[in-house]
Amino acid sequence: MGNAGGRPKRSDSHVILHFLLFFRSLYPQFFFSYSPFPILNSPFSSTYLWGMEDLLAARLQMALSLGFHIIFAVIGMAMPFLMAISHWRWIRTGKQVYFDLTKAWSRGVAIFFATGAVSGTALSFELGLLWPEFMLHAGPIIGMPFSWEGTAFFIEAIALGLFLYGWNRLKPWVHWVVGVVVGISGVLSGIFVVCANAWMNSPAGFDWIVDAAGKVQVSNVDPFAAMFNPAWKTMTLHMTISAFQATGFGVAGVHAFMMLRKPSVFHREAFKIALAVGAIAALLQPLSGDILAKDTAVRQPLKLAAMESHFETAPRAPLVLGGIPDAETRTVDYGLEIPGVLSFLAHGNVNAPVKGLNDFPREEWPPLKPVHFAFQIMIACGMAMAGLGALYLLFLAVPRLRPLVLHRRFLWLCALAAPLGFIAVEAGWVVTEVGRQPWIIYGIMKTRDALTPMPGLAVPFLLFMAVYAVLAVVVTWLLIRHITTVEQHYPSARDQS
Amino acid sequence: MTQFFPAGEPFALYVVIAFLGVSLFLYCLLGGADFGAGVLELYLGKERRQAQRQVIEKAMGPVWEANHMWLVLMVVILFVGFPAVYTRVSINLHIPLTAMLLGVIARGTSFTFRHYDAVKDGSQRAYTAFFVFSSVWTPFFLGVTMGALVPGGLNPAPASYAAGYVDPWLRPFPLALGAFTVCLFTFLAAVYLVGESDDAALRRSFIRKAVWGAVATVLAGAVVFVAAEFDGVPLVREFLATRTATTAMMVTSVLFPWLLIALVRDWIWTGRAIAGLQVALVLLGWFRVQFPVLVNMPGGDLTLFNAHAPEATLNQLAGALLVGSILILPALAWLFRVFKARPKDS
Repeated sequence: MGNAGGRPKRSDSHVILHFLLFFRSLYPQFFFSYSPFPILNSPFSSTYLWGMEDLLAARLQMALSLGFHIIFAVIGMAMPFLMAISHWRWIRTGKQVYFDLTKAWSRGVAIFFATGAVSGTALSFELGLLWPEFMLHAGPIIGMPFSWEGTAFFIEAIALGLFLYGWNRLKPWVHWVVGVVVGISGVLSGIFVVCANAWMNSPAGFDWIVDAAGKVQVSNVDPFAAMFNPAWKTMTLHMTISAFQATGFGVAGVHAFMMLRKPSVFHREAFKIALAVGAIAALLQPLSGDILAKDTAVRQPLKLAAMESHFETAPRAPLVLGGIPDAETRTVDYGLEIPGVLSFLAHGNVNAPVKGLNDFPREEWPPLKPVHFAFQIMIACGMAMAGLGALYLLFLAVPRLRPLVLHRRFLWLCALAAPLGFIAVEAGWVVTEVGRQPWIIYGIMKTRDALTPMPGLAVPFLLFMAVYAVLAVVVTWLLIRHITTVEQHYPSARDQS
Repeated sequence: MTQFFPAGEPFALYVVIAFLGVSLFLYCLLGGADFGAGVLELYLGKERRQAQRQVIEKAMGPVWEANHMWLVLMVVILFVGFPAVYTRVSINLHIPLTAMLLGVIARGTSFTFRHYDAVKDGSQRAYTAFFVFSSVWTPFFLGVTMGALVPGGLNPAPASYAAGYVDPWLRPFPLALGAFTVCLFTFLAAVYLVGESDDAALRRSFIRKAVWGAVATVLAGAVVFVAAEFDGVPLVREFLATRTATTAMMVTSVLFPWLLIALVRDWIWTGRAIAGLQVALVLLGWFRVQFPVLVNMPGGDLTLFNAHAPEATLNQLAGALLVGSILILPALAWLFRVFKARPKDS
């Protein structure tokens, strides 16, 4: 109080403290220290720009690009088959509604395919732009799935051009076959890409030699062993089914919603075809998920432990429902434990021991919260869809219950379930990709060692984020415009019989 | 011949090189023309704008995605077959490559949205604006990226950010090559579109554009040689010293009058073949001058023979490309037969 009338005097130590606090606030860990996502809390090094570290920016850009592309890839895999079903029915029955439906769906597919094709092209460059050290060594090893993927993608683009513009130029049967080729090459292309991803989770087919200077030398490359690595079957199966499940439920949900607004033959038939595909996929998916979980328990026990928040290796391992894993105290808060179920799911025996996180060095753990939460979300969405799918098939199977298919409450449930498949796809992708961290090639190369030396990666990340945000909005808007104007373009959408 | 076939290189390497060259050629010839068509939308003139735009949409619609795939194939061949090249380029040319990618995304989506939007309203103007802008932007950065491989500026251990990631491409030669690429693609598009229009007035307007495109391409080509001198790339000397390259250049120039005759006389496929041959000759000349270097580097160039993947990888890549082309080429031929058969004269 000695300086009356003036500003409060600050000691030098105050000045230094504020100075330090200012710079501390530029440090991203300070920003992110309250984040629920531990990936934002991990320790980093090197350059900062706009408060973001390069490794973080690169990982976010990759996650964003894949998370964006996967939606379009999934639709591109499954949608041609929905079109083929309705196209087939049109050729066989000549009913207007199936012609309308095929045309209307194909216009949607054109929008999705174009967006998927360009975002996929971007990804093939981003692998090098962000992770050159990875591509330098991995490129020749996993070249095989990528070269086949290129071929399948090419065929898909050619067939799609023929299909979309071939209505008056191709014979109906030839046109139908071309449409099926779009679907087959789309599915194959998805399978090949997941083969490459499976290799990152379960590397095989090479010798990795690090010399005294730390220089990596790859030898004895066996492209076949790399492509058909131990994880390829289970992962591609799970992904392919998920594409049909997500697309089936997504499309069915949209048409269910339109049925609730104003019923028409158009929306009714669309709803039935899409939900049939989605329902079958939703019932198969738990089986493929079980196969994949058992496989993961052997190949990547650490990932399985992170998915389940399972810390202590023990027989009769419990399944944890919900809960918040805490990496510091190595416990799960607020979770519901069901004894023995995890052992049964992982090894088919309630008494089998399941490896826990505590068996692995702390620095090799993936971020626990995102993996565990995403896994729970995926399971919850999958269960909801399987339930709805079973209900639908039951309605179809029992003649007395058949009218319930178009019951308003059921339509409402389906409309609400529209996004579940896509949420599950994204969540599953988080499980497998974040669950692989800190490795880019599991057990071989760390993600941070693959990073490009170019600093300032926050800039491309923010650019891509802006572009994909705009695209997401525009595609959604186009889809809404497309769906809400079907009555003007397609007679069967006005037909309420 | 030992220069072309050094001892000990696997046969598969030559298959992969051939596919890389063919992919680049076809990407320029087909994918390039799709960008050029977008550039041409800047020069539609006052009359019959909508009719010209429809010609462009009808020509590109069924094929642009297939044409775009040659770029994807090139990238796959690079990262599987020449990982050191792919990695080096990705690191030092991050900025122009990202610029190109954003252009690829904007061009493909805006073109598709314009055609498939269920309601045709004011939004069409926005799609067109994005489509035209990205059609100039994308080939420009493609050319810049290709050009940056030549002056030897890709530095693996840069002293500064600018030295590592900006200087390699922000210099006369790459920028001039970017401009040249835009002009070349526009010229190609105009030549192709002559045959896509079914009335005489539209054909004449595209012939005019093709002539202006040819003039612009020749001028831009001259600028590339001048820029090369400014950039310390002895391009003129190397061209003159290489017989294949000078011959290619001369034949390209001699072909221009024939092209004009073909366009005016309405020999559509002859005109297209001549323009395609010119692109092939330009690429051949460039390839011959550069051979076997892919990227000029300060500490030792990356070449076709020292930067390739191990033999096992090359074998499977060559196999995949050969089998793939058995599937792709007939399909592609069919696609073009269905949509590019000569329009009936009205």
